[in-house]
Amino acid sequence: MKKAVKYWCGFVMLLCLFTVFTAFLPGYPNASLKFPYKQAGLTPEQAAAHLLSRFTYGATPGEVEEVSKIGPEKWFAQQLDAQLPDDSLNQLLNKYDALKLSNTEVVAQYPKGAQVLRMAIRDGVVNKDSVKTDRKAYRDQLQNYMQQNGLKPEQELLRQFINQKILRAAYSNNQLQEVMTSFWFNHFNVSIVKNDCSQYIPAYERDVIRANALGKFNDLLLASAKSPAMLYYLDNFSSSGNKDNMEQSNRPIRRRLMQQMQGTDTGRFANMPKINKTKKAQGLNENYAREVMELHTLGVDGGYTQQDVTQAAKVLTGWSVYPMGTYGQAGQKLMNRIGDEKLQSRGFVHEGDFLFNPNKHDSGEKTVLGHHFAAGGGYEEGVQLLNMLAHQQATARFISKKIAVRFVSDNPPQSLIDKMARTFMNKDGDIKQVLITMVNAPEFWSAAAVREKTKSPFELAIGSVRSLHADITQPYQLFNWINKMGEKMYYYQAPTGFPDKGQYWINTGALLNRMNFGLALASGRIPGVKVDLAALNNHHEPESAQAALITYSKIIMPGRKLDETIKRLTPMLNDPKLMEKVGEASAKTPATTAVPVAASDEMMDQQAGLKGKRKNNFIAMQSASGNNSMLAQVVGVIIGSPEYQRR
Amino acid sequence: MVSRRGFLKSGGLALLGVGLLGGIPGFLAEAAASEKILSPYKKKKTLVCIFQRGAMDGLMAVTPFTDDYLKAARPNLFMSAAKSGTNNPLIDLDGRFGLHPAMKAFEPMFREKRLGIVHGIGSPNNTRSHFDAQDYMESGTPFNKGTSSGWLNRAVGLLGHDALTPFTAVSMTSAMPRSFYGDNPSVAISNLQDFAIQMRGNPAGANIAAKSFEDLYDQTASGLLKQTGKESFEAMKMLQKTDIKNYTPANGAVYPSSALGNSLKQIAQLIKMDVGLEVAFAESNGWDTHFNQGTENGIFARNVADLSNSIMALWTDLGTYQDDVTIMTMTEFGRTVHQNGTGGTDHGRASCNFILGNDVSGGLVYGDVKPLAVENLEDGRDLTVTTDFRSVFSSVADKHLAINNDHILFPDWKGDRVNVMKG
Repeated sequence: MKKAVKYWCGFVMLLCLFTVFTAFLPGYPNASLKFPYKQAGLTPEQAAAHLLSRFTYGATPGEVEEVSKIGPEKWFAQQLDAQLPDDSLNQLLNKYDALKLSNTEVVAQYPKGAQVLRMAIRDGVVNKDSVKTDRKAYRDQLQNYMQQNGLKPEQELLRQFINQKILRAAYSNNQLQEVMTSFWFNHFNVSIVKNDCSQYIPAYERDVIRANALGKFNDLLLASAKSPAMLYYLDNFSSSGNKDNMEQSNRPIRRRLMQQMQGTDTGRFANMPKINKTKKAQGLNENYAREVMELHTLGVDGGYTQQDVTQAAKVLTGWSVYPMGTYGQAGQKLMNRIGDEKLQSRGFVHEGDFLFNPNKHDSGEKTVLGHHFAAGGGYEEGVQLLNMLAHQQATARFISKKIAVRFVSDNPPQSLIDKMARTFMNKDGDIKQVLITMVNAPEFWSAAAVREKTKSPFELAIGSVRSLHADITQPYQLFNWINKMGEKMYYYQAPTGFPDKGQYWINTGALLNRMNFGLALASGRIPGVKVDLAALNNHHEPESAQAALITYSKIIMPGRKLDETIKRLTPMLNDPKLMEKVGEASAKTPATTAVPVAASDEMMDQQAGLKGKRKNNFIAMQSASGNNSMLAQVVGVIIGSPEYQRR
Repeated sequence: MVSRRGFLKSGGLALLGVGLLGGIPGFLAEAAASEKILSPYKKKKTLVCIFQRGAMDGLMAVTPFTDDYLKAARPNLFMSAAKSGTNNPLIDLDGRFGLHPAMKAFEPMFREKRLGIVHGIGSPNNTRSHFDAQDYMESGTPFNKGTSSGWLNRAVGLLGHDALTPFTAVSMTSAMPRSFYGDNPSVAISNLQDFAIQMRGNPAGANIAAKSFEDLYDQTASGLLKQTGKESFEAMKMLQKTDIKNYTPANGAVYPSSALGNSLKQIAQLIKMDVGLEVAFAESNGWDTHFNQGTENGIFARNVADLSNSIMALWTDLGTYQDDVTIMTMTEFGRTVHQNGTGGTDHGRASCNFILGNDVSGGLVYGDVKPLAVENLEDGRDLTVTTDFRSVFSSVADKHLAINNDHILFPDWKGDRVNVMKG
């Protein structure tokens, strides 16, 4: 009864909220969204559960009912609009002062270790010989120097960045936008492992990926191509045409700029004093041109040749990063002296962090995929090239398949991919439209798709947090677990991004860690991640251990058939030694949120062998408030169970 | 071809036998019944690869000490093979090359022809970026970034049989290294003790949870989860047979208490447990010596001491398993011939590597190191790459693991092998 009242209150509140939301709604009229889940034999709840499993990081308690009440189409339209208020999330994010910084500010405030060292030596604060004699003294000197100059270590920037991703994924109301941000980041992967690009990654995710995650593919592609993170990650910043084909008119500027701009170059110790940099290799670098075709647009079987790669690389020469930071000071001064207007008249393009440098551009004629670029072209031919790649049939198929793999199954049906690819072509690569075609298709709702995906470690961790309404105060603790389970976010080295298939995530070491994660989370042993299991059930005490199992399975895995899981777990509850063992251990070493167990009650019950003792035990343990160890064990096993690994 | 299920079946049979004993946990009884669970597949050849991240100065590790150009280019770093005063000289290997004195543990292995050295080894791609060079060396495709798999993962696929156990390929690192990326089963784990269901301070709860998990995974409809679940619990039990935490190395071997020492100690444990380890990977860090790299003492000396002492501890510990193991080091590039302004060396091109094992045709410094006159240097500053790393790696993979499909192991590569192995 009590429960029913609570639900009723919930509905009223929701209804109120929704009247508010509908005012902001339009954009995607429900007419264009028609989900054929009934034809697939799904109930509205099952449809809602499936939808939430695909386009969020996991349903929060009660969310399945909410969505089925609003109507799945309406919910999806809101997610496509991505305009839901996120006040409480934003409040959490306000604590992180690095998140709003531009790349220029990041470079100035979070310099790399080698940069700091160089500055400290220059300012005479650190004696370079002290490295040898006294490592601690040297470290202290450096630390003082940084504090005095308001400099912070790059690690702090990356910590804030990783924390924000975890908080957004866990708490954002605009879940689809966050899921698509992860998808596109992985598609246009850059890696913290590559030192040259690491400090540009926060702005990359914010300005390039998240900003375009539900926009047009072409915009996303162009923005990534021009971002410092990608320019450094795939080396295009360094690519230059051969001398015969370079513009002759700007020779003096070119020479000076070339010298100055070597500065933004590779390696932690680039530009250290006296280090020999004169032999810097110059010339064409094909890395970006190859990967933009193989991984970002056409796909490896997209019908391009090595000749196309080389020609495309030439088209993209001169795409570079505007000088910034202490290394870029000289370059900046020079640019300022010449002035944007004059630079523009000479074919330079300066947009934010991006600089097109015509002096590094190969101005000869080129042909890519049969498209001819006449001699004498500049920045615009690169834009044309990317635009052309974004609109190829092969690209439409490749991107559609990748989206279908992400949201439908590891092996999506070709019929679905074809539909999506048609939309991609007809709607100018509009990502929302491609998603709509996918969700409107029967293939999305088929039995072959439901629960066919395996959660990645990130999805498992964030999904658990959402399932349990956990309160995160130390997001980085979750990052460490996600790493342990096999997904070191933002550190994947290869431009392919993490493979998106179950076989990749599920291996022996990783699987045991998933189980351990469930147990650690539920028993409150992940510092800074608090769960209140009793509150999940509105502090309504289950009447028996069995009832607890059933209740919590339903809260954590709504919309699923759980008979088998429950049947399998029941023996655990009936293990006569469990209470004793768990109770003892828990009493000896309380968890962070642990509760003293009413040991005397328990012992009495056991000695007496009373009927219904389990019930009493349970309640006794429960009544000590917070999480009892039995409940924690049950919930931990649910999270580590095979059923919960799927979505 | 023995399938992956072969392993499970053997585990299952053992468990069935245990049933007769009644009540005793399966893994304990197994341990009692047969010391080595995988006796049908025992004695696998194992290749242990060690990646020295940061680029080792090959010219200081193995110095061409008769080269006056080098002496001139490194006024503060050059070491001599001649004893003078209290200095520890280089260990003269062959009248031309001298081993760094901190690597004296290697000397007997070289004299016994078990240790081979390749000098002038590196990548044909002349990038001097750590990231790119490691990426290329580990993918095995120096001109293609998009290669999704790593060369050691491809090696696992070429072993000629399915992975017999979860321990066929193990990387002692917290994250999967680039060398292991790919579809063939491999595990990254920095501590073998993590291979268990754990609840801190609550072993009884952990045991019960483990039983529940095992049952759940056994019954799940998902083939992938069911199979991997089974393997995980079998693997866990295999490791539980041994007291990993209180392991005592054999033959008086002493591992340095370093990250590398710890990794190699655990690799030794896996090898000696006969759990089917065939490809092992470990990392050694701190080779990016731009500052004060030192000579007989200092950062570099500490690094090479750790490297050689860790490897020799593994070798000693292996005892009768030595015939089955080859250990090979690799590093992304070498360092400048000239010392820099801060008592170190900068990013260069070629370096050297070490290969230890009874299958190795050792006692030689392989490769082609020309006098270090400017005209012989790559870009006028670095030791020229004269041996493509793939020509050595492929030879070791073939002779030790019988992997002879270079076309798959190193696609795009058409060079000749440098045969550093016997036979």
